[in-house]
Amino acid sequence: MLAGRRISNRWWLLAALGLLAGSIALGAMVGPAGGIRSANWHIIWNIRLPRVVLAGIVGAMLSLAGASYQGVFRNPLVDPFLLGAAAGAGLGATLVFAHGRSGTVDWPVDPLPLAAFVGALAAVMVTYAFGASFGGTGLTLVLSGVAVAALCTAVQQFVLLRNSDVIEEVYSWISGRLSTATWGDVRLVLPYVLVATVVLLVHRRHLDVLRVGDEEAATLGAEVRRVRLVVVIAATLGTAAVVSVSGLIGFVGIMVPHLVRLVFSSSYRWVLPMSIIVGASFLILADVPGRAFEQGGETPIGVVTAFLGAPMFIIVLRSKRRLA
Amino acid sequence: MSSIGFECLNVRYGAREAVYAFTDHVRPGEWLCLIGPNGAGKSSVLRAIAGLASHRGTITVDGAPLAARSPRRRAALVAYVPQAPLMPDDMTGMEYVLLGRNPYIGYFASETKHDRALVADVLQRLDLHEFAGRRLGTLSGGERQRLVIARAVAQEAPILLLDEPTSALDIGHQQQALELVDRLRHDHGLTVVSAMHDLTLAGLYADRLSLMHQGHVVATGDAAHVLRPETLSEFYGVSVSVHHEPDGTVVVVPRRNATT
Amino acid sequence: MKRFTSIAALAAFLLTATACGDDSSSSETAAPTTDVATTDVATTDVATTEPVGDVPQAIISLSPTATEMLFAIGAGDQVIAVDEYSNYPAEALDKPHDLSGFEPNVEAIAALQPDLVIMQDTKIKEQLESLGIAVWIGPAAVSFDDVYAQIEQLGAATGHIGEAAELVGQMQADIAAAVAAVPAGGAELTYYHELDPTLYSVTSSSFIGEVYALFGLVNIADGAQPGNDYPQLNAEFIVEANPALIFLADTKCCGETPETVAARPGWDAIAAVQNGGVISMDDDLASRWGPRIVDYINAVSAAVAAAAVEA
Repeated sequence: MLAGRRISNRWWLLAALGLLAGSIALGAMVGPAGGIRSANWHIIWNIRLPRVVLAGIVGAMLSLAGASYQGVFRNPLVDPFLLGAAAGAGLGATLVFAHGRSGTVDWPVDPLPLAAFVGALAAVMVTYAFGASFGGTGLTLVLSGVAVAALCTAVQQFVLLRNSDVIEEVYSWISGRLSTATWGDVRLVLPYVLVATVVLLVHRRHLDVLRVGDEEAATLGAEVRRVRLVVVIAATLGTAAVVSVSGLIGFVGIMVPHLVRLVFSSSYRWVLPMSIIVGASFLILADVPGRAFEQGGETPIGVVTAFLGAPMFIIVLRSKRRLA
Repeated sequence: MSSIGFECLNVRYGAREAVYAFTDHVRPGEWLCLIGPNGAGKSSVLRAIAGLASHRGTITVDGAPLAARSPRRRAALVAYVPQAPLMPDDMTGMEYVLLGRNPYIGYFASETKHDRALVADVLQRLDLHEFAGRRLGTLSGGERQRLVIARAVAQEAPILLLDEPTSALDIGHQQQALELVDRLRHDHGLTVVSAMHDLTLAGLYADRLSLMHQGHVVATGDAAHVLRPETLSEFYGVSVSVHHEPDGTVVVVPRRNATT
Repeated sequence: MKRFTSIAALAAFLLTATACGDDSSSSETAAPTTDVATTDVATTDVATTEPVGDVPQAIISLSPTATEMLFAIGAGDQVIAVDEYSNYPAEALDKPHDLSGFEPNVEAIAALQPDLVIMQDTKIKEQLESLGIAVWIGPAAVSFDDVYAQIEQLGAATGHIGEAAELVGQMQADIAAAVAAVPAGGAELTYYHELDPTLYSVTSSSFIGEVYALFGLVNIADGAQPGNDYPQLNAEFIVEANPALIFLADTKCCGETPETVAARPGWDAIAAVQNGGVISMDDDLASRWGPRIVDYINAVSAAVAAAAVEA
């Protein structure tokens, strides 16, 4: 029976890779500039492909981070923006928008992704420092994250009220966007995402051990605090990197791992890699309607994922009810 | 087979002393059962051995202090079966028992063929092979309890700690589980320390009982010595009659008093 | 193991793809490009533009103000598409006008094969330049000098230098006339400029505030929230300040009129309400900085003259 299960796992993996390849192909072929013809190759290469690739990277990283957080906090409602990452990034972006009112970039480095990245990391560091000083358990960390997020959001609201002319821009950024993707963005996030991915995949087995709770995991020889710290650092690093170029794209990080568990297996040794592949495919596909079907504009991808997120949640709910 | 030594073990939760100057020596292969009323400190002793409770005093295994060991090394020496194990509904039996191999798998490594073969063998011997692919949520309490024991066996640890292993089981499964532990004890040369409420069962399976009361050991010895009506009345506040079966079994029977 | 190799292969593909992906403007497009300075125009220095080779014939404007400027200097025929908010002049609506300036779809824009794209911010600048499409950024003006500079730059960029200079001269003359039409002397009148019914206003540091400053008007919102040029005012504060003039810039969006304002509780005590000093303005005129600012200034001039008579 064991051997049979392993064979079917391989098939699922191949199927998922096939899905990813299909998504990339579809994403590359569909768009306002038409299919892939030589006359449009310049647009495809410089505009469409970086966007497809970035969507894949962002989707993969958010799903992987979400799955990792769910594992390390043993809570299915956790998403990669836990621990204040989203609020910190939003605050950083808001400060940049409020300050850089001229609208053009007169700095040598685009301050927006930098501020978002730094904001996300800073928020998580503060969360961790607080949470660790209060015991460092999963619960204290999550609560600490709630507090930090509330603080960042409050400051952000205050800044927005004082600079109400940038509310629209900030809102647009928060909704998540891939419309400004360039190969430069891809180059920017790739190192962080790769490092985070490698570290998290290495810790798959440890996340499985953590499933029986902190105490039992300790008696099985797991170093719970260290694993939790490393996983949180890696997941946050990757999340902060993708958030800095794509804004806050919701639902991907929480839904894809659940979908994978539903269809496939709850073991993190499979959930993590499958989340990467399925998450990439998901976001590539989700990006298509927002850019390909609207005539002249864009629907921010965060709106699309939210639209898809709601029914998916219901599906997961129903499946859990059947199991219970 | 390994021995366990306790030297003035003190476990404290905040301001409360749960275990006070616990000193004992468990011989290799011996089954020591801690009994006593709720809050006596039985679980705290087990948790201290398992490394889950900070403590003063020393616990040694084969003479070497346990606290100096890394978590992985400790897990290879001590297998802990908690009172209410957390068993994820969507984990399979195989995956669950495989967790017991964690102390032997490197940080960056994953299970080897040997690990899987060993787990398959454990499941086979414990009559659990049909649950290997089943999700834990679909199993009964007794089946799950046997899986926890299987996980402890997979740890290949010479010391087995059982915290109330039978509290949630019916009488048939109680016997099944304890018989299993006893068989494993003899097959693998395990040293067992358990905490139990059921006094008759404790006396039936353990080599030695230690009665604890408010953190202190107030009586230790075999069942006949410890399970005495006056002793139990003093420390449990219970009224019992104790019967001795011809085969040596000590049976504790609660009694209803006409007078106080 | 297999998983790692597949992930490694994916990573390798990505790395080579990004290495090949070039985001400098090494273009192979046949469309003529114009060498236009894309510096920040919202300063008082006028950026000099290089002499133009070819004149762009396929301009896309994502800025309603720039659209007005383009048509005003005679470059309307060179425009192939505008954004959804470009609603003036009427000829602009004859062009395709469903592009979004706020959430621009780069592919859709590029597919129209423009040779110059005019925008208000730099959101998609890098991407357009990577396709070899020239870009001109015209952010919101903060002074009249900015307005004239933008018109002149657009004139140079589109081959209408003469018309641009003429337009600027005409605007300056008209504005001077409007200011002169108001009798000098008399007390300085106070005013409140309303952006929306929730009482968001502007200070005199904003561009529209400078318009009012031409007439020596005093803004009641100055100092209300130091550091914030777009403060939300408190109704009590407004009534207390008792402005002589109220300019409504929320007539088209939100249906505010002198009557609705007078109906607000407590507002009938304000001098502006009592003396017919509540003026409905065009939202678009108030938020743009194109040639039609002259129309706005004329309306303000008339209002000030009328109020001066009252005072």
